[in-house]
Amino acid sequence: MSKVFVIGAGMSTFGPFPDSIVHELCHQATWEAITSSGVDARKLQVCYAGHAYQGPCFGQKTLVKSGLTGMPVFNVENACASGASAVMGVYIMIKTGLYDLGIALGGEKLTGADGGFLPIVMDDLDSTNGRVMPAAFAMIAKRHMEKYGTTTEQLAKVAVKNKKYACLNTRIAEKYHKPVTLEEVLQAPMIADPLTRLSCCPVSDGAAAVILASEKVARQYTSKPVEIVASVLNSGLRTKYGLIEYRSEMSARAAKEAYEMSGIGPEDINVCELHDPFTIAEIVHYEDLGFCEPGEGGLYIDEGKSEINGKGVAVSPSGGLLGRGHPLGATGVAQIAEIFWQLRGEAGAHQVVNAKVGLAHVVGGGVTSIESGACGVHILKV
Amino acid sequence: MEQGKDKSSDAVKVPIRRNLFIIGADGRPKLIVGRCRQCHLIFYPKEPVCPICIEVGTMETIEIDGKGKIISFTRVMRGLPGYDSPYTLACIELDAGPSLIAQLQDWQEVELKLHMPVELVIGRIKTEKNGNIIVGPKFKPLPI
Repeated sequence: MSKVFVIGAGMSTFGPFPDSIVHELCHQATWEAITSSGVDARKLQVCYAGHAYQGPCFGQKTLVKSGLTGMPVFNVENACASGASAVMGVYIMIKTGLYDLGIALGGEKLTGADGGFLPIVMDDLDSTNGRVMPAAFAMIAKRHMEKYGTTTEQLAKVAVKNKKYACLNTRIAEKYHKPVTLEEVLQAPMIADPLTRLSCCPVSDGAAAVILASEKVARQYTSKPVEIVASVLNSGLRTKYGLIEYRSEMSARAAKEAYEMSGIGPEDINVCELHDPFTIAEIVHYEDLGFCEPGEGGLYIDEGKSEINGKGVAVSPSGGLLGRGHPLGATGVAQIAEIFWQLRGEAGAHQVVNAKVGLAHVVGGGVTSIESGACGVHILKV
Repeated sequence: MEQGKDKSSDAVKVPIRRNLFIIGADGRPKLIVGRCRQCHLIFYPKEPVCPICIEVGTMETIEIDGKGKIISFTRVMRGLPGYDSPYTLACIELDAGPSLIAQLQDWQEVELKLHMPVELVIGRIKTEKNGNIIVGPKFKPLPI
């Protein structure tokens, strides 16, 4: 088994670009990943492309713009975890020794979708019943508040933090460079109580790509490869209340497996890109990922532990999904790109000082009767 | 089925999915669920295979009363086109065991609380672009 390294990353600007073409956004990300890695594009051997709603041969339609034809391309749909699934696909191919160089890309164009909601697919009973995602997370919030006494102020602090960091991220559109106050989050129009509009991620388009390499070739291209020391994907279990639980069992299970795989514990993580489509999600996932004990997520944000250079794990210094939006297929790959830049000290204004170990976490996909469709956790290290 | 409440009484009412509910001889709606003959647990919606036993041929179809309680709820201020926004969505635990997500009905005059008892009604879930009304299981809060 080979070690697997990230040797290059690229990202389009994330934001609302109604006139964009998703394959062009993906080409920007792909081209940046290739040129920054120094890899001869013709040497890439395999591609996994993550997306949820972009139609057949999504990866091929992107790669043809970069002059890349002929390689095996796997198009992966796994809802919010599509991008993480694409990264894991290339990881497995290199880990097992089949290939030495591959590209994982992800993209999504969400502007134009129904009123800011994800397109509803009517083959899922909960969805047809009106279970839009903000409503699901609103119900999760109420359960967490009931069980642990978490407050709306604590929820709002997550939006304040992540939107503050989004302003530092030059890969996010100017339109989303807007810091918000606690009062503004709490008083924004209600979407599904207790979640206001500023408690939900904005609608975005975007794309990201990473180049993965085996240990045999990684150092030919860079003296600063970032190793993927754990790559985990799972699907949700049948839980008592489906998605409406005050914890994410599948996130906790994926994280535990990733910690065991890497020999790294939550106390070793310096930086985390976490799945925060809604404020409550970040608080729940602090607990799931082991950054704090169950029920202490609210305290974790209160004490500033998840701030850049706070006393805990710096969480979503890029701005996270609340800052950059959540173009589904792009998110999981964008997280890996962000962690790659963080661990190389190249993140820019939102750099976490001396970050050596990073974790990326995505989870989502509404499926009636189970918690969620898919969860991906990656741990990277320099 | 909420007769007369719809703006257009000629609208075609289409069940949200086949084999989810029936109206009993007493006029009251019942949920159609799966019960495993082996572990005796009840599942809604019914699936072909019991998720606990993972064996073929153990699931039977039964009908249950729709009494339950609210585990969580939220008022959705702006739903997708076709839904009557605002509407209230809830996670309901049925007394018979399974839980489900459904819209509430007749919630406007009620101060909703967690753990409040509810009962099954069949009502409008959404209206399709062609005017058809999708109907299915909803829950009505009961006085405590």
